[in-house]
Amino acid sequence: MKKFSKIKAIAKVDIKKNLTQIIALTEKNVKLNLRFKVNFIISLLTPIITIAMPLIIMNRFFPEIELIVYQFIAYKIFLMRGIITEFPVQLRFEKYWKTLPILMVGPFHRLNLLFGIFLSRILLILIPFSVLFIITFIQAPILITTVIFIIAIYFLIAIIFSGIGLIFGIFAVSRENFLQPLLFAFNILFWLSCLTYPYEIFPSFVQNFINLNPLYYIFDFLRFLWLENNVIITISTHFYHFSFLISLAIIIPLLGVYIFNIIYKKYGIVGY
Amino acid sequence: MNNDIIQTFNLSKIYKLKGRKKEITALNNINISIRKNEIFGLLGPNGAGKTTLVQILTTLVQPTSGYATIDGFDIIKKPNKAKNRVALMLESDMLYYRITAYDNLKFFCKIYNIPNYQQKITEMAREFGLHKWLNQYVENFSSGMKMKLALLRTLLLNRDILFLDEPTLGLDVKSVNFIIQKIKDYNKTIFLTSHDMGVIEKLCDRIAFIDKGNILKIGTQEGLKRLMQTEINIEIEISKSKKELKSELDQYEFVKEIEETNKGFIISLIERNNYRNLFSILSNFPVRKIKEQELTLGDLFLKLI
Repeated sequence: MKKFSKIKAIAKVDIKKNLTQIIALTEKNVKLNLRFKVNFIISLLTPIITIAMPLIIMNRFFPEIELIVYQFIAYKIFLMRGIITEFPVQLRFEKYWKTLPILMVGPFHRLNLLFGIFLSRILLILIPFSVLFIITFIQAPILITTVIFIIAIYFLIAIIFSGIGLIFGIFAVSRENFLQPLLFAFNILFWLSCLTYPYEIFPSFVQNFINLNPLYYIFDFLRFLWLENNVIITISTHFYHFSFLISLAIIIPLLGVYIFNIIYKKYGIVGY
Repeated sequence: MNNDIIQTFNLSKIYKLKGRKKEITALNNINISIRKNEIFGLLGPNGAGKTTLVQILTTLVQPTSGYATIDGFDIIKKPNKAKNRVALMLESDMLYYRITAYDNLKFFCKIYNIPNYQQKITEMAREFGLHKWLNQYVENFSSGMKMKLALLRTLLLNRDILFLDEPTLGLDVKSVNFIIQKIKDYNKTIFLTSHDMGVIEKLCDRIAFIDKGNILKIGTQEGLKRLMQTEINIEIEISKSKKELKSELDQYEFVKEIEETNKGFIISLIERNNYRNLFSILSNFPVRKIKEQELTLGDLFLKLI
């Protein structure tokens, strides 16, 4: 009993310590990002260009509400995609600012680094994300349970993106030469995820590639949730999509930390 | 009981350079021990291996072979435990220029779990003369202020062992003296690397000379000087009979070299033992002043490297 309470006390201290570190990393990243505010605001508006064209072109082929849900979900995903690029950008900055060594000597778990960058990005995109979410909600109202579930799914997607970002991040630190090829490959994966253009408009040989793309199932599930507006029906009819999303949300961050540690241990900080 | 807080055991680091078949040995079988609360200085020319050694001891770089312990924890097997004992200040200031000085300090205090950090930051900033600058972006600081802030942060983190790599690089005399004083004030184990002989001379209890990855000599300043000072230089002032004294001294083999100065000579003796013989010769001449020239760390450095 005594031993158990001791373990409980240690766990409590550890949770507090980790939370403090995550908040510190988040706060620092937010402040660094907001140092040049105009650049930051423009970066939030850039995805509008990406969804503008499909909104104009496909207006003739799809019901308006469906198209708005489709494209506004795409905009929100594009905002969240910033989580992936935030890791290599942030870590590369830290490498050349030479703040990275002191960060790496710091007594914290790499998962805290992941959550720190993850939370800072979430905070930074919160306003445009919420605005678009509310507009979508006004255009295509859904049940409150669906709203909660959709927010949870966005959260899981953000976690997956953080894991991918951490993998890209370590390449920015240790093997910068591989970073651009990785980002290029990821851009192709994103392009083939039917985020802005529907599956049906692609020729069948491209559809074969889309079928192999995990991102496609994740984004598709999110759209089904909104358009079907019934969590139980969506999960039961698209259980494969749902289980895929949950598995990735667990595996990718852990894999990210593992790969980060392996590569960092082998190569260290290279290129500054 | 072993009082050594930092120990290295045959620590080596070999780099493979791009486009060259040959490998570069940055560190070669380094064995050093540093005692608790000791200020240990590592002196060496550029590319001698000083920073590599600091990077390995702070777990930033993996050694090729050998190992080291920090407060008893193996840096390879238990890097997190080792990291918990150290604070680092590399040759650059390692600060976030785009946020304020206070935000920099607050961030590191939270990462290192420093309790009551607000109060400590204010107190130490006052002590370092930076309190009026706490809410300014670091990008507006001068080089000296940035280094002061970097040192403040290193000391604020409340670690037992501080690794300071070139903490006075590029600073003016006033800032150097300030940093020396602050390092002395805090009773910590300090591993210091520097090009600046003056800094090492004023601060360090023990010194190691490193070149091409090898430790050449290690010891206290006095011990090293004694060890190295086999030949000595005597500076004398003489009012007259300069020519006669020179021709007299030229006859003796123990006199290695005679250099004429405005007021007299600098006489180099082959060995310290010849001091007495020289004195008996000088007693026959009107010598006004005799002074032994002290060997500086700089002289030692040049002799070794």
